[in-house]
Amino acid sequence: MNARLVRQLTRLYPPEWRARYGDEFQELLEIHSSARRAVLSVVGWAIYERALWLSGLSMDSRQKSLAFTLYASLAVLAAGMNFYWTVEDTPLAAAMRAHSTLSATWNLVRLGALLALIALTLVAVPLFLTIMRTAAARPKWNVILRLAVPPCAVLIVLIWLVGATKLSGAHWVPTPWDVAGDWTAPAAWPSLPTRVVLSCVTFLLLIIGLVVSAISVRQVIAQSDLSGIKGVWFVAPSLLFATSVVVMSIGVSAWGWFVQQYAAYDFHTRNGGLFTSTNFTSWAASCLVYLLATATAVQSARSALHGTGSSADD
Amino acid sequence: MLEDIARMSGTRLGPGTLYGAIARLEREKLIEPLPAEERRQPYRLTSAGRRVLRAKLATLYGFARAGLRKLEA
Repeated sequence: MNARLVRQLTRLYPPEWRARYGDEFQELLEIHSSARRAVLSVVGWAIYERALWLSGLSMDSRQKSLAFTLYASLAVLAAGMNFYWTVEDTPLAAAMRAHSTLSATWNLVRLGALLALIALTLVAVPLFLTIMRTAAARPKWNVILRLAVPPCAVLIVLIWLVGATKLSGAHWVPTPWDVAGDWTAPAAWPSLPTRVVLSCVTFLLLIIGLVVSAISVRQVIAQSDLSGIKGVWFVAPSLLFATSVVVMSIGVSAWGWFVQQYAAYDFHTRNGGLFTSTNFTSWAASCLVYLLATATAVQSARSALHGTGSSADD
Repeated sequence: MLEDIARMSGTRLGPGTLYGAIARLEREKLIEPLPAEERRQPYRLTSAGRRVLRAKLATLYGFARAGLRKLEA
């Protein structure tokens, strides 16, 4: 085949596939006759590899485990933020101080969050070192740029929050948990339409930041050769992480049950829920996301255990 | 590799099919690459690959023997 056709055909494959097999595949194509059957074979398999790449099925067990941990941790972050802001600065916080059972379930969530942080640190340190070593050995600016996406997303949200707060008179932070409800907004706050628009922008920035961070870090994981890291660095943190998410889910569910017993009126009013919803609706949304995160974290642990079982070098 | 496969099986694989198989086998850690030899890129079986291949060949062998016995009966 001529060099131009070879280059075009190779470009049909996903970037990770090209990085791994591109050179040797081009060598093979160059000595191959350009028969229509060979071209069709390349195009058909390129479509298949693209589909695998998009679905994440092209990752090995360790990469899958890390990707699931990433998705679950971002889901926990979103659910935890919503849960915290639903309760913070509302009568429900006062109810927690009055009832030790209620505050115990809140502390259970905090314990789970601490365990999750330990698990994520345990898995992140060897992973980060491996990724940076790979990037340093073969300069990979795309890896470094993709790793910079999550801190940039945080920075953009912070800049937006500070800027929008100052522009709206410095009396109100544009979070989606403080728009309107069964209370009267202070006179110094911006008008309701302004609050709705600004908090919608914050919400969109948060969602976009989470999704873009998930995609970019997932791509880095898919490009990383993790075979040099011992299996225990995947299995132990993923088991600990799955346990921590289960603990958080139990804590949030139990908190909802107890708050219904002790402070039902405040639970069903609109004084802290996401986008003027009731606290109950906002709590239920958090519960749902925590449950999804639990299923994903368990899947991560299963992939890590499978990776240790099938890996030739463990 | 394409020539070797054609000689052994009587079927000539397309380049996309060959690298589809190589990528899948490497993903499942059944083969691993060796250092390149000029324009050739050799691969070898891993211990897991050897185990899987032995099991597959034993199944095929049993299947072929059962088929031949039926034919001869």
